[in-house]
Amino acid sequence: MARDFGFDADRTGGVEALPKALRRRISGHYPVDPFGLDPQLCDLVAPAFGVFVRVRVDHPERIPATGPAALVSNRGLGVGEPAALGVAMRQYAQRRLRVVGAPIVPVLGAVSRRLGAVSSSAEDLGSALAAGHLVAVPLTPTWLRAGAGLPPLALVQAMMPYPVLPVSVRPGGPFHTPIVWDVRIGLPITLGRTYTPGDPLGAAELGEAVRAAVGGLLAGDEADEIAPSSTALHDW
Amino acid sequence: MRVLVTGMGGELGTRVAQLLEERSDVREIVGFDFVPPRRRLRRAEFRRIDPRNRERVVEFVTEYAPEVVAHFGVYEPASRMSLQAAVERTEFCTVGALGAAARTGALEYVVSRSGLEVYGRRSSRASVPDESVPPEPATPYGTSLLQVETITAGIGRRHGIPVSSLRYAPVVGSHVPSPLGRLLRLPFVPVPAFADPPFSLLHPEDAAVAMVTAITRRHDGPLNIVGSGAATPFQAARLGGRIPVPILGTMWGWAARGTELGGAAIAPHVVELLRFGRTGSGARAIDALGLPRFQSTQDVLRELFEWADVVPILTAREEVA
Repeated sequence: MARDFGFDADRTGGVEALPKALRRRISGHYPVDPFGLDPQLCDLVAPAFGVFVRVRVDHPERIPATGPAALVSNRGLGVGEPAALGVAMRQYAQRRLRVVGAPIVPVLGAVSRRLGAVSSSAEDLGSALAAGHLVAVPLTPTWLRAGAGLPPLALVQAMMPYPVLPVSVRPGGPFHTPIVWDVRIGLPITLGRTYTPGDPLGAAELGEAVRAAVGGLLAGDEADEIAPSSTALHDW
Repeated sequence: MRVLVTGMGGELGTRVAQLLEERSDVREIVGFDFVPPRRRLRRAEFRRIDPRNRERVVEFVTEYAPEVVAHFGVYEPASRMSLQAAVERTEFCTVGALGAAARTGALEYVVSRSGLEVYGRRSSRASVPDESVPPEPATPYGTSLLQVETITAGIGRRHGIPVSSLRYAPVVGSHVPSPLGRLLRLPFVPVPAFADPPFSLLHPEDAAVAMVTAITRRHDGPLNIVGSGAATPFQAARLGGRIPVPILGTMWGWAARGTELGGAAIAPHVVELLRFGRTGSGARAIDALGLPRFQSTQDVLRELFEWADVVPILTAREEVA
């Protein structure tokens, strides 16, 4: 991963003193990555996110310490789940999370990209994974956070050559309020048969498997029992 | 092998010739351009030919019968000549040199210089395009590059030989005549008023090494050659201690006139970069060519700003060597 001005596009950093951070902004001594992520800005606002978005993570050791991986998670309406997942990755794995689904609106889109969002397209998802990033791919949103949504086939095709982990994110406060979020990481999904990357049938099967795994995590099943029996990653 | 380097007079063409000279498996190196090489060449033979003189180009290439062509006869508008002259020279050089080389029957491999400009505007869908994204150029330079790629690919299909196009990120360096490099070194740098999109750069040495490696590995197919990381117009201007001047969408024509008076003519593809960004995924090239990661965009910028200030020249109206 490239390091410019002491910032890493993949690993999180510490918080700088405000005067020093402002001097950096004015003098242009801060990096930007090709997707628009601004590591210095992310590190500056991270403490505020940490205060408002509190998380508990089940099986954080399953988060890859380095290299690409797709975290497929449920999503309700709003940005609660992606924000909770981003905070969880920062606190438990010290990695920056790229979240698929940058809005295509002038100012909001640019701001979300500065904070790590990427387009909801197979092209950008493939590029982000090829660059070695940790990427969150939300299933389609469900009303009232009622369960796992549908897996977008084109996105699943793009993530086939990489480790795919099911993740559930749900409010863990009293009466299911988002005072704290419960994040559960499942085992990497693998398929019983070998498919070439991008194969539509293989992608559909992978999509169904990951959807079932996310649904199981949301239903409260033991995370160890949800993924298919083989613990090996993709063998193609 | 016998290698022909078109555009040998440019910084990249000269450097590629130097790197080829160091290789024992390269028996002969020849090249031509309308300007002489920028550094001393020990083994390579250079012929000063204007690419618009098609007869001389064809005669020279036919006589040499190259086995490999490194096609650097691709000219960037506002770099050393006007937009029309650049597009015209690129077309003449590509058709003349590649056509003649193909007809000799000795050709085994062709690699052409191209650029990320072939992808067109950085879209919300493919903001970091890889080689699988269909090219959709939106500027004359992008169209010119795509035409070079199309001709190169056509030769490959027709003669059953491997061919490649290296889609370079904008190459910026202390000795490379680049409209973007000149623009960023002006005291006032125009930047978009309501956006700050990322763009990536490529160091000239990485561009040359990638070309030589593609030749030795005979890589088949297009590759994005991109420096790691990115910068934005505002950040790059401030890094160089320049003053960013916000420009509204309708005012870019005036901004281009202003920068031309300041010594840095900007072509449509540079305006496109400033307004919409320009990046690409270079992961495939790193794997296919077995090269370490290229120098970062921020390192390229730092080197650029260590160089001397801009000297005004009217590149849009006069051709300069």
